[in-house]
Amino acid sequence: MRKKLREVKTAVSEMFELPKDIMLNLPRISMIGNNQMLVENHRGVIEYTPEKIRLNSTIGVIRVEGEDMDLKNIAADDVMITGQIKRVEF
Amino acid sequence: MWNYIVGYLIIKVDGLSLEKFINLAVNNGIFLWGIKRSGYTSMTACISIGGFKRLKGIVRKVRCRVRIVDKRGLPFLLLGLRRRKMLLVGLLAFLIILYGLSSFIWTVEVEGNAKVPEEKLLDVLAKYGIKPGAFKKGLDISAIENRLIIDVPDIWWASIQLKGTKAIVKVVEAVQPPPMVDKNIPCNIVASKDGIIYEMVVLEGRPMVKEGDTVKKGQLLVSGVIEDPETKTTRLVHAMAQVTARTWYEGQAVCYLDKGLTRRTGRKVVHRFIDIGRWVVEYQKEDIPFKHYEMEEKRVPFFGEGRFFPVTMVVREYYEVEMLPASASLQQLKEIAQRKAEEDVNKKIPSNTKIVDKRVKYDMIEGKGVKATVYVEVLEDIALEQKITVE
Repeated sequence: MRKKLREVKTAVSEMFELPKDIMLNLPRISMIGNNQMLVENHRGVIEYTPEKIRLNSTIGVIRVEGEDMDLKNIAADDVMITGQIKRVEF
Repeated sequence: MWNYIVGYLIIKVDGLSLEKFINLAVNNGIFLWGIKRSGYTSMTACISIGGFKRLKGIVRKVRCRVRIVDKRGLPFLLLGLRRRKMLLVGLLAFLIILYGLSSFIWTVEVEGNAKVPEEKLLDVLAKYGIKPGAFKKGLDISAIENRLIIDVPDIWWASIQLKGTKAIVKVVEAVQPPPMVDKNIPCNIVASKDGIIYEMVVLEGRPMVKEGDTVKKGQLLVSGVIEDPETKTTRLVHAMAQVTARTWYEGQAVCYLDKGLTRRTGRKVVHRFIDIGRWVVEYQKEDIPFKHYEMEEKRVPFFGEGRFFPVTMVVREYYEVEMLPASASLQQLKEIAQRKAEEDVNKKIPSNTKIVDKRVKYDMIEGKGVKATVYVEVLEDIALEQKITVE
């Protein structure tokens, strides 16, 4: 049932060219170069060290690896990471 | 910026599950920023004052320790000021005095007057309240402008502008219309000066001289008596003409060689004092290391000509001078004499003339100095109307 709803939502959003992050509740990630990363619609911080950050989201864990990383801003549904970002994994 | 105005804290959190701390804080709507992990069990973050107060419940749940490292922002700065009351009082006093003094007029400037003396205008202005030390508020500027025009009949227009503590008064003087030429009165035109006629434009009358003629002062140039060659009757007219002539002016100056000429070397020492009536405060003084020097004194009064605040800044500039050898000084002497002579002659030349030639002559006064004579040749109108007295 749930899977079916998801399929319908995907089809609808593609049909009407609606942004998927709103329709499907997906995280929206935007990066500026390799030193700033904004993750909207996250589900909490799992791990935070200057070298590795793991964020929870609806599509699973987002792993960010780098050097001297800070959480510049953190609010209920967006988090901004600054520092030298080297790898982003899903 | 907003955080700075409201004020924020930098906290240090020690504990094992710092991620949990962050998540709980965020879920409770506490905004965190600038999170830096400094070690395995500790991190620093920025938090608003309101957020810090709500942090207690989370601290209990996560079992970590929160310490305030630094307080930033305006509220804490003001808190610090509360302990230094006199600083605050001084700040307030400064603002009040600044505002108070800026609501007075301290200087009055008059522009645009050539014939009407400035003192007269200042007197009239002072009568209506525009003077140094007057309160700016409550002055009816446009009424004073009108009053000024009425009281000083030689002024046609006046505008008063208050710029800060300065009152700028602009006036336009009345231009007297040229005297009416009564065309019914017959007259001749004579020369007002000696000269050589350069150009003649005769509007009415019979010319008696032609261009290139040398005329003397008082000589008849254009006659108002016209004889008709056929009827042999004479007719008196009002002669009108523009007669431009070359005239000469001469200026003289003598420069004596009495104490030898000196020249400034460019080195100087400046002394500054403040002169407060009977006390003199010397705040910049050093020895004068020159053998020969000359002194220039400048007095700069605070607030205009010391009308009510007799404080003057005195600047004395000592210039080092050197003696010039005799041969060099002769050339200098000539230059100085010429300059003085030119100043002399410029005073004599009327304003509406055109200078066409200039010559300088030097006369040596043996063993004493140099006399310079400057001859200036100008073009000017020498036409002068003169009534014809009919016998």
